Amino acid sequence: MKGWIGNILRVNLTTKTYKKESFTEEFAKTWVGGRGFAAKILYDELKPGIDPLGPENKLVVALGPISGIPAPNTGKCVVAAKSPLTGFYGDGNLGTRVSDQLRKAGYDAMIVEGKAAKPTMLYIEDDKVEFLSAEEVWGKGTYATNDWIYAKYGKNAGVLNIGQGGENMVRYAVIRSLEGRAGGRPGMGAVMGSKLLKAIVVKGTKTIPQADPAAMKALGFGDLKTVHEWDKKSGWSIQSTTGVLAWCNEVAALPVQNCRKTKHPEAWKIDGERCNNARVATYGCPSCTMKCGVTVHDKEKHESELDYENVALLGANLNIFDIEQMGSLNYLCDEYGLDTMSAGCTLSFYADAIDQGATKGDFKFGDAERAKELLGLAARREGEVGNLLADGSLRMAKKFGHNSEAYAMQVKGLDIAAYNCKFIPGQALSFGVAPIGAHHREAWIITFELKNSTRESYGPEKAAKVIELQRIRGGMFECMVSCRFPWIELGWKLDNYPKYFNLVTGLNWTLDDMWNAADRIYALIKLNYIREFPEATRKGDYPPAVWFDPANADTDGPIAGKHLEEDKYDQLLQHYYDQRGYDKRGIPTKVLLGKLGLAAEAAVAEKYAKLS
Amino acid sequence: MKVTVKLIGPLIYSAGFSEKQITLPDPAAVKDLCTRIKLDKKRPTIITRNGHAVTLADPLKDGDRIAVSPLYSGG
Repeated sequence: MKGWIGNILRVNLTTKTYKKESFTEEFAKTWVGGRGFAAKILYDELKPGIDPLGPENKLVVALGPISGIPAPNTGKCVVAAKSPLTGFYGDGNLGTRVSDQLRKAGYDAMIVEGKAAKPTMLYIEDDKVEFLSAEEVWGKGTYATNDWIYAKYGKNAGVLNIGQGGENMVRYAVIRSLEGRAGGRPGMGAVMGSKLLKAIVVKGTKTIPQADPAAMKALGFGDLKTVHEWDKKSGWSIQSTTGVLAWCNEVAALPVQNCRKTKHPEAWKIDGERCNNARVATYGCPSCTMKCGVTVHDKEKHESELDYENVALLGANLNIFDIEQMGSLNYLCDEYGLDTMSAGCTLSFYADAIDQGATKGDFKFGDAERAKELLGLAARREGEVGNLLADGSLRMAKKFGHNSEAYAMQVKGLDIAAYNCKFIPGQALSFGVAPIGAHHREAWIITFELKNSTRESYGPEKAAKVIELQRIRGGMFECMVSCRFPWIELGWKLDNYPKYFNLVTGLNWTLDDMWNAADRIYALIKLNYIREFPEATRKGDYPPAVWFDPANADTDGPIAGKHLEEDKYDQLLQHYYDQRGYDKRGIPTKVLLGKLGLAAEAAVAEKYAKLS
Repeated sequence: MKVTVKLIGPLIYSAGFSEKQITLPDPAAVKDLCTRIKLDKKRPTIITRNGHAVTLADPLKDGDRIAVSPLYSGG
């Protein structure tokens, strides 16, 4: 087998044991890597109903066949587990040197089981695994922890670590790596914390087996250089993703005041121009040649690394139009190891719920100083308010009642990314049918629906585009494991990715093979969902109810009086199900599962839920 | 007629401005505006007026606000 090493490292924190397990080429070709490996491992190894914050849960770190290989933007890894936020399969990716170091240590993935007796750091160096004390940094943030690790092992080590948010099992705590950013929005950091696992450090010295290493090296290094040149020529990295804010404000898609509004006259104060003007450094993942992180000084003079999602959700959606103050909130999320998007949505929901009279509290939109305090309370789970906020917007809404769930901006428990879909049906569908909850990674369809369709349309063309994008983004890029930015932002051809895949594996795959694998993985995640929620209906694929509410429609601007229409959304959802081959609940049919080679997985699911 | 152009992201730096009002002869279409601001024709863009996409052939009206953005894949 080439491309894949063929080994998975299994570590048990309870027994302090580890073993190397091999997998077959058939497994590799069926699940590709990254998200595919993680979804399959967790489907096979986790029983439905387990406590995601208990020792029965498992954390999977998974890489792809081009991880550690020089090619454009491959310095990422996937982290996955049963989500403490959503209650079923959850995952995410982040930039980190674990991407190449774990592969060079001789593994395509690792599985962490059990629970340590005391705060632990796993140190992996080739065939050696050490269970080291992390008591010295338990209670410390991700920056201090990362520095402590670098002091011991140098900056070439691959690092994953958590902050106070993960330690205290905040349900939207992420895993961090200073080599990249953060990943695992559905609470992967909380899963690490529940296992008393503060950090994973990896060093590897082995060679990754490739079918044609000379050709891959020549192509990969050449393409890295080309992507860098294209980026320089395009100017994309000047603002990188922060440029999206001004566009969303122009087309009335910006989340403002918990999505009550879609644009704001002060949005320019935190737009890409202002972020770039305030830039003090630029940040990127390993092996990245189009770095996307815009680093600014926050109010307290920390370096805070921004992208569009955190600017919009910790800024505009909280009515905070001050780069330094928004930067402070972003820095605190990174320091505590909290998902910036869920933290922003949770705070904006709290302010909204107070405004609507659903609960009492002392937090108002625009109050950056109180927002900073609240993030600290949540990260430490301090007091009633801290514990409330640490559980995320959906659980808060269920406690508050008063129909507040309608404006908890989440799907399946995972808070939305920064696109206000008050009148963007296709993007609302994308959030609704994203397999792990309202994640923007799966399908970003706004440009298509404005440019190639019409904003008003709920037609099958939008469902088809969501599926196409899911296959590319949530499928191929998450399995390979690679960053999508060169593709749309620079026009890097998708055909390049099977080319890399074939050079390292010796296979002869086309993009259609990638889409087939992607469909299989999406179907398996759906089986995971229905196994955990056997009574689930298509309503689980609906976006937040407030987007359907005429009373919430904009009163002025480009979409004044407009809102999503429930009957039409339901038709759009049906287009998606029909094109996917899913039943009326949004679950793959047995016929489809058979075609995807998932008959055995379907039989397992049928023990818990009915399949059509 | 007078129209306002708002450029997004990297287009600001290639055109040398972020937002400005431009006077065009009446009638004028979106493509006339793109020619005036020397928009790179090879670069894929989305052009919108009041939150809805327009084509190069669409006529402009006095007072229009036109946003020109490169294609993004999200944040």
